[in-house]
Amino acid sequence: MTGRFRPNAVHYGVVAGLGAVAVEAFFGVRQPSAYGVCMACHGQDLVGWFTNHLVGTHLAISPDASAAPLLTTVGVFLGAGAAAARNGELRWRRVMGSPLASLLLGALIAVFALIVAGCPTRLWLRLAYGDPAAVAAVPALVLGVVAGTAVLRRRAA
Amino acid sequence: MTAEPAIATLVLGLLIGYVGQRSRMCFIGGVRDFMLVRDGELLKGLLAFFVTAWTAFAVAGLMGLLGDGWSRGGLSVAAAGWTVGLLAQGWMLAIAVVAGFAVGLFSVFANGCPFRQHVLAAQGDGNAALYLAGFYGGILIYGLVLVRLASRLLTG
Repeated sequence: MTGRFRPNAVHYGVVAGLGAVAVEAFFGVRQPSAYGVCMACHGQDLVGWFTNHLVGTHLAISPDASAAPLLTTVGVFLGAGAAAARNGELRWRRVMGSPLASLLLGALIAVFALIVAGCPTRLWLRLAYGDPAAVAAVPALVLGVVAGTAVLRRRAA
Repeated sequence: MTAEPAIATLVLGLLIGYVGQRSRMCFIGGVRDFMLVRDGELLKGLLAFFVTAWTAFAVAGLMGLLGDGWSRGGLSVAAAGWTVGLLAQGWMLAIAVVAGFAVGLFSVFANGCPFRQHVLAAQGDGNAALYLAGFYGGILIYGLVLVRLASRLLTG
């Protein structure tokens, strides 16, 4: 399959940036603001919607997800799966290292992302929107990445 | 009260999931790759995302297409408020800094941001699949336990 157009990260940035604003401007994903893409908050809206409907809990979800759950995370999973399948990159890679570490990291990141009200994607989206809280949260996020990378580098050395 | 947001987010998710898999986009990988091997590819993607969204928000705001969040000067403290739900503003900022730092730090150890983990899991990565199990478990714990605990503590 040589010669097929392969989108790069800049293409992704433009598509996702336009899309995130478009769903807010035209398709009613606007409570709260700068809410077009978020893997944590939309995941919360999805999980919360189903738990509320199936078990009768009263978990807080976005008002925009009251009629039907937000499906960003499901879409990303299916879209990525389709892209991988179409390009021969869909194959099982067995767990490396500690399974518990992966599980715990996932849980910790979900909790902290919900506390700061955004996964890295939405934190940058909120900064683009002009959310003052994101002016504090995004540098903190970047600093966290720098610190984590420094740790990785020290481990590798 | 329509299903429009559900459909719109599904379509957008499919689109960015597809492009994200092809481009290996990651929202924390840019800084990491640049620091480790001076590879600026993902960093360019992040910059493109930010500049595009910033421009599109400005245009949509001028056209009156955004909600009243924009007319309040883009102050979405209320926005963060319904998720955190409970915290006074000064505290919220301090907590946002700590939590933001934690998300960045742990995401490096996990080898990718939540978006990237969804992509990796979809293409068959075992670690990312475990990560997602923890991620959705964490979301549930947050809603069922932590929010209630915090509200009990804060309201005395």
